[in-house]
Amino acid sequence: MSDPVPLTTGHPGQVASATPPAPGRSRRLSDRGLAVAFISPALLLLLAMSVFPLLWALYLSFTDYSATRGGPAHFVGFGNYTAILTSAQVHQRALTTLIYVVGAVGLQTVLGFAIAYLISRRTHGRGLLTTLFLVPMMLSPVVVGLFWRFMLDAQFGVINSMLGSLGVGQVEWLTRQRTALISLIVVDTWQWTPFIMLIALAGLTAVPRYLYEAASIDRASEWFRFRTITLPLVWPLLLIAVLFRAIEAFRLFDLVYILTSGGPGVSTETLSFHVYKVAFLGFHTGTASAYGILMVLVVIVLTQLYLRYLNKLKED
Amino acid sequence: MAVSVNEAVSTGPVRDHPPGARRLGGRSRSILEVALLAVLAVVMLFPVLWMIETSIKENRDVYAIPAKFVDFQVTSEHFKDVFVASGGGRSALSVSFLNSVLVAGVSTVLATVLGVPAAWAYSRFAVKAKKDQLFFILSTRFMPPVVVVVPIFLMYRQVGLIDTKLGLILIYAAFNLPFTIWMMKGFVDEVPAEYEDAAMLDGYTRLQAFWRFTLPLLVPGIAATAVFALIFSWNEFVFAIFLTSSDNVRTAPPAIAGLIGGTTVDWGLVAAASVVCALPVFVFAYLVRKHLVAGVTLGAVRR
Amino acid sequence: MQRRGRMPVPSRKVQLATAAMLLVATTVAACGDGQDNGAKASAPKAPATIPELTKDPLTLSFIWFDWPPAHALEAFANAEYKKERPNTTIKVNTVPNANWHDAMFTQFAARKTDFDIAILDSQHIGEAVTNGNILDITDFVKNNIDVKAYNPYLLAAYGQFPQAETGKRDENASLYGLPLLGDTWTMIYRKDLIGDKPPQTWDEMISVAERCQADNPGVSGLAFHQANGSDAAAVTYNTVNGVYGGNLWDSKTRKIEGVLNDAAGQEAMDVLVNKMKPLTAKGSGNWFIDEVNAAVAQGKACIAFNWIAASGGLLDPKQSTLGTTREQILDKPGFATLPSQKTNLVPLGGMGMHVSAYSSKANQAEALNFMKWFERADIQKKWAAAGGVPSRTDALESPEFLNAGPFNQVYTDSVPRMRDMWNVPEYARLVDIENTNVNAALNGAKKPKDALDDIAKEQQGVLDSSSRKGGGGL
Repeated sequence: MSDPVPLTTGHPGQVASATPPAPGRSRRLSDRGLAVAFISPALLLLLAMSVFPLLWALYLSFTDYSATRGGPAHFVGFGNYTAILTSAQVHQRALTTLIYVVGAVGLQTVLGFAIAYLISRRTHGRGLLTTLFLVPMMLSPVVVGLFWRFMLDAQFGVINSMLGSLGVGQVEWLTRQRTALISLIVVDTWQWTPFIMLIALAGLTAVPRYLYEAASIDRASEWFRFRTITLPLVWPLLLIAVLFRAIEAFRLFDLVYILTSGGPGVSTETLSFHVYKVAFLGFHTGTASAYGILMVLVVIVLTQLYLRYLNKLKED
Repeated sequence: MAVSVNEAVSTGPVRDHPPGARRLGGRSRSILEVALLAVLAVVMLFPVLWMIETSIKENRDVYAIPAKFVDFQVTSEHFKDVFVASGGGRSALSVSFLNSVLVAGVSTVLATVLGVPAAWAYSRFAVKAKKDQLFFILSTRFMPPVVVVVPIFLMYRQVGLIDTKLGLILIYAAFNLPFTIWMMKGFVDEVPAEYEDAAMLDGYTRLQAFWRFTLPLLVPGIAATAVFALIFSWNEFVFAIFLTSSDNVRTAPPAIAGLIGGTTVDWGLVAAASVVCALPVFVFAYLVRKHLVAGVTLGAVRR
Repeated sequence: MQRRGRMPVPSRKVQLATAAMLLVATTVAACGDGQDNGAKASAPKAPATIPELTKDPLTLSFIWFDWPPAHALEAFANAEYKKERPNTTIKVNTVPNANWHDAMFTQFAARKTDFDIAILDSQHIGEAVTNGNILDITDFVKNNIDVKAYNPYLLAAYGQFPQAETGKRDENASLYGLPLLGDTWTMIYRKDLIGDKPPQTWDEMISVAERCQADNPGVSGLAFHQANGSDAAAVTYNTVNGVYGGNLWDSKTRKIEGVLNDAAGQEAMDVLVNKMKPLTAKGSGNWFIDEVNAAVAQGKACIAFNWIAASGGLLDPKQSTLGTTREQILDKPGFATLPSQKTNLVPLGGMGMHVSAYSSKANQAEALNFMKWFERADIQKKWAAAGGVPSRTDALESPEFLNAGPFNQVYTDSVPRMRDMWNVPEYARLVDIENTNVNAALNGAKKPKDALDDIAKEQQGVLDSSSRKGGGGL
């Protein structure tokens, strides 16, 4: 996502006042008005629905406020933050979330790219194939969670039924510590591999043909072509997809809520699920707000790192 | 430029053909690839097929061990249950589907109407601290819903938006807006600014140039973006379950989640409701399928 | 973070808008605080007599979770209550079971409810009363309800706060609700597999289940709630704990540590994890009401435990493989009160009706009138015939109730044996701690002893946490 107008990237505050390369003096004013008129409604909605609640949460995060208990909020300084950062409960959820994010997004990337690559090499039926592969991504996480819960049922589930006819014994997909987290990763991978596939496919079909033609004149090996032409061109796109998925996975709530509700014990409780418990079981709004702010910080830092990396790639 | 992009997409399929066929063993490799693709397709689609199958099975066959793949009694009972209440009349599920249509539709329109002009402005004009603004916009999209739902809840209770469709529409629009802006900015970047400049030399204003020349070229992109926004709103669960509670506001996902946790799970009904929930999204996505792939290409690749 | 992560500073207009938003934010937040300050941390009182009722059309709304009794209540009330009050329509809003507590209490937190009568779980009363969410109906009950017609404990369980954990009602305590639906666990045993006579002690029950499982391949000995959502695994442990003579806490000194995990408590956990769990089906570690019912209906369990109010579906031939008619099915599963061991305690289930403090005066009056009507002797019998579980003693012993379902006798016999959990404002957290830890122990994610000690320690922490600065709820 490069900007057509190269300015204000380095020092926004100072450079912004310099003359923008607008076409002509007479038109500039109206351009400016137009920009404000077109951008501000969108920003206003975001301010009202995202920034304002977040600021409120920021304020509450320094208090012991409870949404149900009523009564005034008492200022507790950084009490909520230190309690969260030093809590072994939170550390456990952070580790679970990390394993889940890395496992799920890693699998999705490999599978999604592989499918996209295979599809891009087909000459016929690409549209149909793409549409078919996209199906899981279109489903509501509720539907996905419920239905996989049904399929993964140790007693009546179709997965164990099929494994049974292959001679494999019943697997407790959702009720053992390891398998439950694996199941969560598998289900998320099933649903979101198409997302990576779609974006990778877009990148693959956009690789200009003349590059390949040039390469085949040079008798470059296929692997060489893949490594030197395909991958570098698709890589930035793939990173965008991975960025999106990693952050979405980091926020995961609904699948856990439906599939395992954090079980067995708390072994599949992600950070989001834990925030939900803090916020709604006993309504510790202050603590939950601090917890949420910390999660948002993590997301922002992650996003920033990725964007920088992407920009660097683009400049090369 | 826009034309050439369309060309690239339509000629895409043949692109790989010559180099692939020229290689020795290209045929057997091709067969291997098809087989691999077929296996992956089966794995990805099996759960969906199983869902459709379960939706037309009688309940006693649903629990059969080993699972019945072909020889089962076909029934349309579950689909009837989705729409018709047991005592006759409209079922709570069917009401929730209507609510979903309204909420998802209006919020998508809202996000598009607000997002497309903003994306165009970001693409065309020298806006102060543009990168920061865009980054800020994107970061609002990435906030964990469970985190946002707490302050949103507090805010909504002050203004009386809890358990209202308007409340859901606003929050969905706000969540789709960043995506719309980012996605659409990519599309707008692809349309050369020279088109507008040329139009303006012909005497059109900037606004007219946008409206008459750029916007028509953006329609495929808008469609693709809107489909994603629509899918998000249609499928959204977290806000829906925490911000609504009554039958006449509840959207489909929480209503379907409510089908389990009673006293018996009617998996046939769950499957039928899931199929009904998924169907409109599929139809819409299929209608704009060409734009989907082209759309993501346009939105993300610029070189 | 780049540039301190502040919002970028866009055009002046947007800056202005931001300032406006902040202003609104401060104002609204201030308003919110003001309102909260005004709310006393005690429940407002309901009038002692029912005020004059409106003649205009009125919808009386309930909130419950989605299960058959909720639909039965709506149908029953619309058919019967309309005879007295033709201008009133009854609407029972239902939410998913997992979302039940959250749905009610988020609305309470909003100080605005779309229901007039909340159907609270007995343990939710403490939270609702402490936050002033439901009406104090002590005086109303005195003037309008014949309290002698009930087993005193039933009135206490669904209405009294501070709670009566077991046994007697405290005549001086305030009442906040009236019974709607009584419930307890029933033992469901396969007469055709283990004989007509149900096991009498817990140990005997386990050995019978063991034998039955060995004799019938493909059928597991036991099926019970193990899930970590709602109150599933917690009720299971609490039941075994009660039967083996344990205590959940000492309510006077608010001690859990050392009480729950005493010798009796440890024995109960050992029985549950090491003797009962091995007799359950593989992968049953996330089972709750529906899964246990499915196992029974599919003929996959010798002995199962489930809530009585949730057992109606077992007799539905469409869901069952045990027979093609109700009579045929009834040849197989039998229903009995729970076996006893050191004590004969059984878990208290069911819910009461509680009037929302935020609903309009006219609706509150109608709600009180409905409750008075519902607790009438003739209506309680009709409710029983419609599939509900009444609370008045005369209704519980009436043929209308006892003939309505094969498990209803079990309920009547169980009433004097009931014990409830802690009914305190911290209930939601206490039950979550217990649920997750018992579930972990049942699924091998924790050693039983560690799990019990963790429950005691963490629950004690919750009860003692009021003095802590920050981090509450972790």
